[in-house]
Amino acid sequence: MWKTILRRILIMIPEVIILSILVFLLAKAMPGDPFTGSINPKADPAQIHHLMKINGLYDPWYQQYWNWVVHLFHGNLGQSYQYQEPVTRLIAGRATNTLWLALVTMVLTYAMALPMGVFAGRHEGKLPDTVIRVYTYVTYCIPFFVILVLGIWVFGYVLGWFPTTGSIATDANGWLQTIGSRFYHILLPAILGALFGTVNIVQYLRSEVIDAKHSDYVRTARAKGVPSKDIYRHHIFRNSLLPIAAFAGYSITGLLNGSIFTETVFSYPGMGLLFINSISYRDYTVITALVLIYGILNLLGTLLSDIILSVVDPRIRIE
Amino acid sequence: MVKKKLVLSAMAVLATLSLAACSNKSSSSSSSTAPTGASVKLSESYDNTAAVSQAANKGTLKVAEANNSPFQGITDPALASNAEDTDVFAPGGGDNLFNVDKNYKIVNGGLANLKLDRANNTATITLRKNAKWSNGMPVTAKDVEYPYEVIGNKNTTSQQFSSDFNDIQGMAAYHAGKAKTISGFTYPNGQNGRTTVIHFAHVTPSMQYSGNSFMWAAVEPYEYVKNVPIAKLAASTQVRKNPIFTGPYKLNKLVEGESTTWVPNPYYYGKKPQIKHISINVVSSNNIDKAVQSKKYDFVTGGLEGTDYNELKGLKNYHMIGSPALSYDYFGFNLGYFDTKTGENVMDPKAKMANKNLREAMLYALNLDQVAKKFGYGMTWRANTLIPPVFKQYYNASEKGFPLNIKKANQLLDKAGYKKQGKWRVQPNGKPLTIYFGAMTGTSAQAAEYQDYLQQWHKIGLNVQLVGGKTMEMNSFYSTLQAPKQNKIDVWAGAWSVSSEPTPTQIYGKDATFNMGHFVSAKNTQLMNEMNSNKAWNQSYRIKAFKQWQTYMNQQAAVGPDSFSYAWAPVNKRVKGYNINPANNEFWSNLSLTCPHVQ
Repeated sequence: MWKTILRRILIMIPEVIILSILVFLLAKAMPGDPFTGSINPKADPAQIHHLMKINGLYDPWYQQYWNWVVHLFHGNLGQSYQYQEPVTRLIAGRATNTLWLALVTMVLTYAMALPMGVFAGRHEGKLPDTVIRVYTYVTYCIPFFVILVLGIWVFGYVLGWFPTTGSIATDANGWLQTIGSRFYHILLPAILGALFGTVNIVQYLRSEVIDAKHSDYVRTARAKGVPSKDIYRHHIFRNSLLPIAAFAGYSITGLLNGSIFTETVFSYPGMGLLFINSISYRDYTVITALVLIYGILNLLGTLLSDIILSVVDPRIRIE
Repeated sequence: MVKKKLVLSAMAVLATLSLAACSNKSSSSSSSTAPTGASVKLSESYDNTAAVSQAANKGTLKVAEANNSPFQGITDPALASNAEDTDVFAPGGGDNLFNVDKNYKIVNGGLANLKLDRANNTATITLRKNAKWSNGMPVTAKDVEYPYEVIGNKNTTSQQFSSDFNDIQGMAAYHAGKAKTISGFTYPNGQNGRTTVIHFAHVTPSMQYSGNSFMWAAVEPYEYVKNVPIAKLAASTQVRKNPIFTGPYKLNKLVEGESTTWVPNPYYYGKKPQIKHISINVVSSNNIDKAVQSKKYDFVTGGLEGTDYNELKGLKNYHMIGSPALSYDYFGFNLGYFDTKTGENVMDPKAKMANKNLREAMLYALNLDQVAKKFGYGMTWRANTLIPPVFKQYYNASEKGFPLNIKKANQLLDKAGYKKQGKWRVQPNGKPLTIYFGAMTGTSAQAAEYQDYLQQWHKIGLNVQLVGGKTMEMNSFYSTLQAPKQNKIDVWAGAWSVSSEPTPTQIYGKDATFNMGHFVSAKNTQLMNEMNSNKAWNQSYRIKAFKQWQTYMNQQAAVGPDSFSYAWAPVNKRVKGYNINPANNEFWSNLSLTCPHVQ
């Protein structure tokens, strides 16, 4: 297996190179440049040309690409034009915010979806199943930003239970207060994200449980007189987790993707907003860095999913 | 709080006239009247008569910055290039050098005084004796000069360099990297003294005003940042994490992209701030109305639109305070090209839009009053000139602009020979005429406005179409317009935000690259030159020059005024001393609270 993993990682290298060239070219192909539009009317357009020149934006693309790659190998992703600070620092700050929010959301989602899926499958066709199915379909139908706006309005503004902006209170001091305040700020968007993000897991799990219920090993277990509770816990649940495990890799590496909607509504500085802003500002260095990071994470996600699958299901071997 | 930025954001507009009812039944009011054309009258100050509560002043003034993305966190005005940073660091005073009067004219009494010497072409800037940074360091003569080094440096990341800075002796050489210092700065009492003298090629009347393009009106803490290379200054901890200020408040805490909190600066030279804490939080424009309605904030900075006003105008315990914005929306016409060899704009007599009657007809065909009324909710109104009414002295209120007049529009076209053949009018030479309208993608209200413009133009028989059949993304819009020569866009809707000194040469001058319509005439150059000629030291002459220019621009119809708007904010009843008149130089120190909680 280790050999396979190593081989997969080696294959990723040319993939990443091709991805980086594509990203680089596409970013440059967009109309405008980092300085379009952000010019003060008293400014000298010559100054803008000067800035373009010292930043090498007039060089041919292969030269710009080469400079970028050389810097990359020095751990330098360049300087953001818009934020005027190193891209690595900029992304690190946002990534931390995004990671915490996504992690709490993921934990909550699984904590809710797993029992719901098993429960619905176990009581197939009965009232609890219908309720859960309707719930997942309804949450699936409503656009997420509507939920966010409604959620922040009801729980943030009207009831005042949760903070409504940012990732931390302005008056939080000391590490305990800081962590507490951060968690408090994440809670509402995470709960909303979890409440409305269960559909995939519940549906997959439910149908797996229903399939498993009728399989031979369950019948055998029943015949042997194993209590129903144990059958669900030890036999059905574990086997039904397989398709969920297939997602797991992506879920883990996807933690850094960020959510544009959540970040916009809660004024929460994360990766999603950074990505969108960098595109509209033509902040090339940030765009290329982010797409590259997302690309690598996706490749890793696939690999991770395969590994998890082979661990969970001994029948699957990656060779 | 002067924002100098070319508004390229598609969010600018949104219009309005006459929403007859205004909800300002309150103790608020000062003697301001609604600007010509505006139906809603907003006051510049909230004259709260309630008693100040000392207990409340020990609490926190809560300010919301309405913005959809996190702020960037560049505290240094010489390096920042966006309004959000200016807003969230405002209590630090913006390191402003000068106080101004209600017309943005520089007056004595600020961090420094200014003296212009017309005989020797110098500007002498004298710092006050107790001028200190918020860490206790004295503000020195070198601090007055250092921002010019930062902005003019060959490796700077700043976008603030103005071509007019080249009027400072030695600036061109320094900017080109040929000199290590700027020779036009001298220090009669040494760099650590209080006096800086700037030697210009010539001094002009515009230098008397804050926001002029010849001088940088803020200081930079040289001793504090001197070891940081200028190229890395914007990323340094001195600028990002532990900045120092000269204003009434100093930074207490900064949460990157989200919020800033402030406490009084013990070294501040001016009026002692009354409120002990200020917090400024970024709040998404999507829910800023809800945030205000749930009484979370004392007032709002950043961009609020007509739709927000419509939501908030009747809100109990809040007063809507505002004054005309330092910006205007306009219609531009493509009349030629920019000759990159001579560095001058050239009008092409054969250009599609070269006929003045055609341009006038297009402007008269628009129903800007109605558009403003429908989408602006009283916060926007039809513009009548290219100088916004915030410049009370220079604004020419007697200009009519281009009110709806379909009959006149048709007559103008008939007279000019644009005859109707079938559905559309054709060019005087008989060839078909299709006019391409460039518009930036924006809100759904803006999309509706663009459709209305097209409809009006179709009414007078002009075949006007959106470029490529749809609105343009902001970057492609401006990169098309800023090309030296283009023939994709014939007419466009754009917006300018202007600095507090309104000389329009950088936008409409013969050698201005921002003159994207390329309108040039001897008369135009002459009128603009007069605004800053020697005679213009006489204020009434200068005013006359500005007014004549506005009349001339309307006569030529090369650029059509579209709309003006208010810069406004809801202010809670517990706030006392809120006044956005430019003459209120102690804006933050004058604020106090009358109740411990937002009411």
